[in-house]
Amino acid sequence: MQDVSRLTAWLKGTDIGLLELRTPQGTLRLERRGDEIVELPEEEEVGPVPVKAPSLGVFLHGHPLATVPLVRIGARVEAGQTVGLLKIGPLLLPVAAPQAGIVDGVHVADGAAVGYGTPLLELHPL
Amino acid sequence: MIEILSSAALATVQDLGRTGSLRWGVGTSGAMDNLALAAGNLLLGNALGAAAVEIPVFPFKLLFDEDCAFALTGADCAARLDDQPLLPWWVHQARAGQVLTLGLPQGGAQRGSRAVLCVAGGIDVPEVLGSRSTQLRGAFGGHEGRALRRGDLLRAAGAGSACRTGFGLVPPVLALPLERDGIAAVRVLPAAEYMAFEPASREAFWAGEWKITPQSDRYGYRLDGEALRPIAPMELRSHGIVPGVIQVPHSGQPIIQMRDAQPSGGYPKFGTVIEADMWRLGQAPIGSRVRFIETTWDEALDALDEVRAWLDKVARMVELHRGAPAARN
Amino acid sequence: MTAAPSISPLGTTALLFEAPGDMNLPSQQRIWALAHEAETWPEVREAVPGMNNLMLTFTRAPRQLDALRARLCEAWSAATAMPREGRVVELPVVYGGEGGPHMADVMAHTGLGIDAIVELHSAPLYPVYALGSHPGYCYLGGMDPRIATPRRKVPVLSIPGGAVSIGGAQTGVSASAGPSGWNTIGSTSMVFFDPAQDPPAMLQPGDMIRFRVEGIVR
Repeated sequence: MQDVSRLTAWLKGTDIGLLELRTPQGTLRLERRGDEIVELPEEEEVGPVPVKAPSLGVFLHGHPLATVPLVRIGARVEAGQTVGLLKIGPLLLPVAAPQAGIVDGVHVADGAAVGYGTPLLELHPL
Repeated sequence: MIEILSSAALATVQDLGRTGSLRWGVGTSGAMDNLALAAGNLLLGNALGAAAVEIPVFPFKLLFDEDCAFALTGADCAARLDDQPLLPWWVHQARAGQVLTLGLPQGGAQRGSRAVLCVAGGIDVPEVLGSRSTQLRGAFGGHEGRALRRGDLLRAAGAGSACRTGFGLVPPVLALPLERDGIAAVRVLPAAEYMAFEPASREAFWAGEWKITPQSDRYGYRLDGEALRPIAPMELRSHGIVPGVIQVPHSGQPIIQMRDAQPSGGYPKFGTVIEADMWRLGQAPIGSRVRFIETTWDEALDALDEVRAWLDKVARMVELHRGAPAARN
Repeated sequence: MTAAPSISPLGTTALLFEAPGDMNLPSQQRIWALAHEAETWPEVREAVPGMNNLMLTFTRAPRQLDALRARLCEAWSAATAMPREGRVVELPVVYGGEGGPHMADVMAHTGLGIDAIVELHSAPLYPVYALGSHPGYCYLGGMDPRIATPRRKVPVLSIPGGAVSIGGAQTGVSASAGPSGWNTIGSTSMVFFDPAQDPPAMLQPGDMIRFRVEGIVR
């Protein structure tokens, strides 16, 4: 507790917006709100969020007419943003990010066949 | 309503064409890329031949002043809805007040030249002689029988109605590829005067790369290549022709009759680009090259069957998807 | 023994039938009869007469083209010249002047004076052989060969509707503004096409046109 008040006092003198301290005992998060420093409640460590195939089909990293993929590793995506495409015959369906996050990994190669629910990408949640 | 924000755009309202009025000197008009128009309509659940806007000059801008579902097919032109980039060959939902901007056609080898904007229910203009296509000579059909101008207001017959959006198609340029030695190609059936040309000219026609000159438009594509020489000068009687007919005037430089061509002519006919491949020509940009592939009657009909089969498959898959319950995630 | 007709494809969209022999009105009347018959065939969408020829557009192109060719030839053999009870339509024409910018070229080519040209052009009764080229445009037969003038080397970008012109051995009247390689010798003010009317064209094959001299601008 003493550490927290010392940290809080020190933080006030800086222009840091958010301090996150990860320790073996847990994570301390102090956030600036206006003139005050507030301790944020401890959250459950959330693991990576999978983006799953909405149906059977062929997973495409980008639009067939494009030369670049829709997202790259490290890209920040919004909830609902199209992060890949699923080709079923002539149809192209969007693969949407279930929530906002950072693209952590792509599990399936461009052009590979997938089944319903196959994890396609992984997001680090925000 | 949809308000046109661009001037001098040469954009016209087209559908699949006006048939049955050749007897009065009225040609078919219709979309230069009829496949893009049909596919865009299928994405929206419209009738196959609902009227759309064909856009040949870019950039192009319009404003939706009410909610409206729309599909953009044909050339991929880095479209945006307000500042949101749009995927090509896709059906989208516009909200009232949003501006659709089409940029320059993208894509290197697959670059097209005409975008097609289909809207929910189709563009609502009166039908004239059975079609909503624009007949420029004679000024009827489409929107007041002319190209669209800034300030023009168009009505989408199904604006405001609920429509499934947010999905698309693999474009036919990828699904139905056709090329020779890396150059876009179209199939041609020899026509009446084919054998009246020098053998060397006939060979040059099939072997050569033909450049689409800047003097090319909806009336006809003027090609640049080796001059085609008739064995003897020919004087033909005026006769009916159709889009795709390749005429050879005195200069020897062929002209492919396109959708707004006169429905009759008197120049020697070398061959006719087959109906199944006209959409490919409709997307060929000015300055691009095209190869011609000699084909037979049976092969030409097979090609037509292939295009119809693609459209049927698209129709079935789209209807399945449009009817499916919405995904939970 | 006349030569056989020529039948050729226009892609898979249409078939072109060309009658053999000289171009004349009785042959054209047989073409009209052939069109009338062919329009009843299931694979034919439209039968479009040209100048002693006929284009058949397909509803659906048949796989067996030979059968259709044979049927077409038979129908041609059986076709009798069907003279039509057409109307005679008189068009008032102002020859020369601003409405006839190429009158001088026709005079130069034929060696005739303007009065002779006007007399030769306005004397005949011109049968309408077919419609084509642009909405409402009539292909006419019967022009006097003495005023025949070759098509222009450089077509004019736009001549107005109502322009009366000579192209080679033919004459015609433009129904709307558009490009033309013909020699324009006068103008008339008739409306040839109105899409709101049924039929939309004012004239049809079998009608006859007479040009009435309204004025000559020298």
